[in-house]
Amino acid sequence: MNIFLLLVYGVVNLVFVVLVSPLFISLIKKVKARAQRRQGPPILQTYRNLVKLLKKETVYSENSSWIMRATPLVNLAAILTASLFVPLLVVPEPTDLIGNIILFLYLLALAKFFMALAGLDAGSVFGGMGSSREMAILALFEPVIIVVFAALAFAYKTVNIPDIFRGALASNVLVNPVMILIAASIFIVIIVESARIPVDNPETHLELTMVHEAMILEQSGKNLAMLELSSAMKQTLLMGVLINTLIPWGLATDFSAPAILFSLALFLVKAVVLAVAIGLFESSCAKYRLFRLPGLFAFALFLSIITLIIEVFA
Amino acid sequence: MIIAPTENILQILVVLVLATAAIIITKRDIRSLIKTYALQSLLLAVMALVLFVVTGSLTLLCLAAIILVSKVWIIPLFMGQVYKKLNIKRDTQFHFLSPITALFVSIFIILFVYLSFSTLLSELSRFNPNLFFLGATVGVSILFMGMIVIFSRKQTLTNIVGYLTMENGVVLFSLSLTELPLLIEFLIILDLIMLTLIATILAFGIDSTIEEFHAQLNPFAYSKDGKSQKTLEDER
Repeated sequence: MNIFLLLVYGVVNLVFVVLVSPLFISLIKKVKARAQRRQGPPILQTYRNLVKLLKKETVYSENSSWIMRATPLVNLAAILTASLFVPLLVVPEPTDLIGNIILFLYLLALAKFFMALAGLDAGSVFGGMGSSREMAILALFEPVIIVVFAALAFAYKTVNIPDIFRGALASNVLVNPVMILIAASIFIVIIVESARIPVDNPETHLELTMVHEAMILEQSGKNLAMLELSSAMKQTLLMGVLINTLIPWGLATDFSAPAILFSLALFLVKAVVLAVAIGLFESSCAKYRLFRLPGLFAFALFLSIITLIIEVFA
Repeated sequence: MIIAPTENILQILVVLVLATAAIIITKRDIRSLIKTYALQSLLLAVMALVLFVVTGSLTLLCLAAIILVSKVWIIPLFMGQVYKKLNIKRDTQFHFLSPITALFVSIFIILFVYLSFSTLLSELSRFNPNLFFLGATVGVSILFMGMIVIFSRKQTLTNIVGYLTMENGVVLFSLSLTELPLLIEFLIILDLIMLTLIATILAFGIDSTIEEFHAQLNPFAYSKDGKSQKTLEDER
């Protein structure tokens, strides 16, 4: 495939992910606020917060080391690289250069690993608490993520994400029945990865419940902006995986401007619906006790193992 | 292979029925258990309706109507009323298996059913082996999953939901494999309504779990904290 098109693909995907990710964050906030009969912050608030944070000074704790300084950069770099792996608007020709699903998962894990290190690094009690909680949850959840994505790879007989989307586009059924099971699992993955309500509470700074927020408590200014942007982007990427495997209609396969614009409009519609669904799901349940979390994880595992069984024996 | 849209819809319905059975195994809130059961029955009714459109057999239409009236409307309504009066919101006690272990056990059950049916069913099915193989295995798996619910939960209301799930499994199996005569289907459903009636009335008397009911039945054999007379004597 020609290098120019690959470059176009990369630029389009990156710019789109960076621009659109904060939108979904504030949309989910808005839906949750409306569910509680509140007005909620305006849709552009997350963008404003990011701009404000970028202007602010970065403060480091005296006890912190280079990890504190490197973490936001590593995080952003890992997620930006991962965003090249998930075609949101236009699927490039199959290449071996990009799109390995295992590398994608490891990039997400790398970002989380550095975030947990940074939580420990400043030496504050809250950061350490958040890191240890995050690692405890992830130790349980990481195998589930692997099985979910393995089921996805098995369903389309490839570990290349663009190829998976291609396969989903090429299937001549309305909705692949197996995909419903995987989509439910990926939905749970989105909830856990973006630290949402049954697992974590994105709104609170309450000592008892915060996990993700506790880890980034010591971050400030530009670094905080980078971390928030990268977690917003991670959420968008996982939403993209869910949307483009379950309902890939309209995803562009050629690099013409009208096709890409059409695909953009359609993706925005689908993603807004999904974001509203996430917001409603979050409003409809209370935060779980830590010891009930494995139930949620086991449900995702159950669905993806059923997928594997159906794919292997049917 | 080109798959007709109706078959795709049927496959999706079967998969969704399996997902609702998994929810029934893990849920603790009794009201949402009842709602999930109603949803599962609704999915079955839609499935019967789609099959009616495909095959044009009137039995299936009648079956859809019967399921809609009895299992989506009457039984959940009745159980909802009993739930309101019983004043028990959640089922948090388990025998033998916790919900998570029950999920894992059901994975093995589904695998087992799949393996044992794969040699058996290929010749029996009506028009698409793949689809009806899926339906039949999911049906039998749900039967077993309902059984897990019955023996792993303590609340009587949950046990009733487990029994009803088992029956849904039988309906799914019969829908996808052979057509049972309408009379038999009708009698099964009549039986089901009577059984639910009796069981929920019993649930009133039992009030929560079988064990506590036993203590109520034998007021002299048990002291107030639930120990039997014999253990009290032993302690002395």
